Amino acid sequence: MSNRVVFSCRNVHVSVEGKEIVKGVDLEIRAGEKHALMGPNGSGKSTLAAALMGHPAYEIQGEIFLNGREITELSPDERARRGMFLGFQYPVAVPGVSVANFLRAAISARRGEEIPVRELRQKLAEAFKALDIPKSFMGRYLNDGFSGGEKKRLEILQMMLLEPVFALLDETDSGLDIDALKLVSEGINTVAGERMGLLLVTHYQRILNYVHPDHVHVFMKGRVVRSGGPELAHELEERGYDWLEPEAEAVATGGGA
Amino acid sequence: MAKTATVLDDTPVLDESAVRQISAHAGESAAILEIRLKALAVLSETPLPDRVRHLWRFTNSGKLLPGPIRVPIAPAAVDSPAGLAEDATGAVLAASGDSFEILVSPAARAAGVRLWPIAGDARACESLGTLVTDAAGYFEALNLAAFTAGVAVDIPPGVRLAEPLRVLLPAPRGAYLPRILVRVGSGAEVTILEEHSAGSSESRMVSVTEILAGPASHVTHVLFQHWEREVRGHLTMRSRVARDAKVTLVIASMGGELTKMDLGSVLDGPGAQSEIGGVVLGAGRQHMDHHTLHEHRAENTWSNIDFKVALTGRGRSAYTGLIRIEKEARGAEAYQENRNLLLSEGCRADTIPELEILTDDVQCTHGATVAPMDDEQVFYLESRGIPPKEARRLIVQGFLEAALSRLPERLRQEMESQVACSLGEFLDEGKTA
Repeated sequence: MSNRVVFSCRNVHVSVEGKEIVKGVDLEIRAGEKHALMGPNGSGKSTLAAALMGHPAYEIQGEIFLNGREITELSPDERARRGMFLGFQYPVAVPGVSVANFLRAAISARRGEEIPVRELRQKLAEAFKALDIPKSFMGRYLNDGFSGGEKKRLEILQMMLLEPVFALLDETDSGLDIDALKLVSEGINTVAGERMGLLLVTHYQRILNYVHPDHVHVFMKGRVVRSGGPELAHELEERGYDWLEPEAEAVATGGGA
Repeated sequence: MAKTATVLDDTPVLDESAVRQISAHAGESAAILEIRLKALAVLSETPLPDRVRHLWRFTNSGKLLPGPIRVPIAPAAVDSPAGLAEDATGAVLAASGDSFEILVSPAARAAGVRLWPIAGDARACESLGTLVTDAAGYFEALNLAAFTAGVAVDIPPGVRLAEPLRVLLPAPRGAYLPRILVRVGSGAEVTILEEHSAGSSESRMVSVTEILAGPASHVTHVLFQHWEREVRGHLTMRSRVARDAKVTLVIASMGGELTKMDLGSVLDGPGAQSEIGGVVLGAGRQHMDHHTLHEHRAENTWSNIDFKVALTGRGRSAYTGLIRIEKEARGAEAYQENRNLLLSEGCRADTIPELEILTDDVQCTHGATVAPMDDEQVFYLESRGIPPKEARRLIVQGFLEAALSRLPERLRQEMESQVACSLGEFLDEGKTA
């Protein structure tokens, strides 16, 4: 594939309150590619995802590029407006802010101008239908009292509406029953298309039955310990993560040299 | 110390001559003058509340003293119905200082709605001061003895007004003592917007509102306080809610240097309901002190309070909420929640729920929180491209939203845009503080 690189990071280290969680990560994702970052619980996957989006609680070192331009120093909202998207594992509730108002603010911010009301209405109607979310959710407060599955669907809905160039989905499959998982996967596949790059962060292989990755990275102890094709995901499903322990140790020691 | 009859320095203690002049000027009946003189007698026996007094522990009452009370010199009332459009159903009363302007739409007039200076209302003395009595406290007695802008609002039984009645009370210089008496007939439905605005460092408000909600009536009362920042004021509001009636009070309090409010409902008949939604903003060096009372006196009564306070700069808020459930109030339900959002290091909020429950057969819950803004909420909105300032504004607006959601649609939109407008300034101020 010779599509242009939409997202890359070099030697990314992330610390939280002085403790290093992510210990040097390099990634390169091209338009139209789907990457999966798989790793056991506690390996630092979510930390990496939040830090790449610019979460202020994380100290980050290294370089991050979006669409060929460095974004390492940019604030989260600037990253988002340039086309980066983070689908949260645990989307936070914002009581009093309706879904419709929030989406209008987000879409307008991404576009750099206020979206006309009629166009907004039409876009929302289409997206809500595609993800089988009742229209009544537009008037509800953002993620407030939503079930886990509803929250995840709303994350994918936002991804659809914001048309990112690169999307990072953190454990989007967790908390979904099989029907919701299929629906969400369909949504991801529709949006992913040819122009967007995708990094799917996940613990389980399950979602990869529906969203087929071109590249799989195994993430352990703050590092990518092995990268490969889709077959690597199946191998992980059969063998778990333990067999890669020695490799993780080796990378850790090698990384220090 | 000798006091002149018309202008009193330093202390608002009135003498009989001043009260008589105020009453004569307004052209009141002897019955109303009698009520005033009785209140004056009570006032002279009532000390200015000190901080030991339960409801005054956070606020220095001396700072609220109105100073010289001028006997009015302007015409007492102007009734000009021409100012409203033919198809409007509402009414407007503007009482600025000593003069009134009362606008009642033809539709409201035809329905028998009356807005009237208390002085000209022969029936006023039956209800005046029966709910907020001269025994309620120093400022209440002061108002009853010396109110200078008194208005009575009458809604006949069964009348339903689609548009709100507006009572506009821009604060003049000096002491200002408006008094509003609202009587709502059985089965009537009305929305009253009481708006306190304007003023200067010389403005001192002592205001009282009494609402008598008849059986099965529905009253929505919006108390909107957006004075200039230098104003000090004390506002008392009580409603008496009869059998199966419902009173919804939405209070938006965001102006003034020093604001003290005592708000509440007495649930006086079986099935009576009262709900209070509060929105308070305090920035700069503003001092906000709000008290609510829900007093259940009859069985199967219901009350709910959702009181939201957002502070920034060196803003200061105290909220005390008392739920009193009398022995007769079997099957009562009472809920109370006060949430405080602190947006700066220098602001401070106190919250004190109080319960006095004299019967077992009740459901009662209360809750209070004081917390800074949730960084994860900010990050979530920012991760969608929303700039930090806009994200914070959305979150604060959302925090306050639920309190306003009780209003009818059009008024809710009006109040939301008023709050949104104040919020921009409020949040900017926090940043520089």
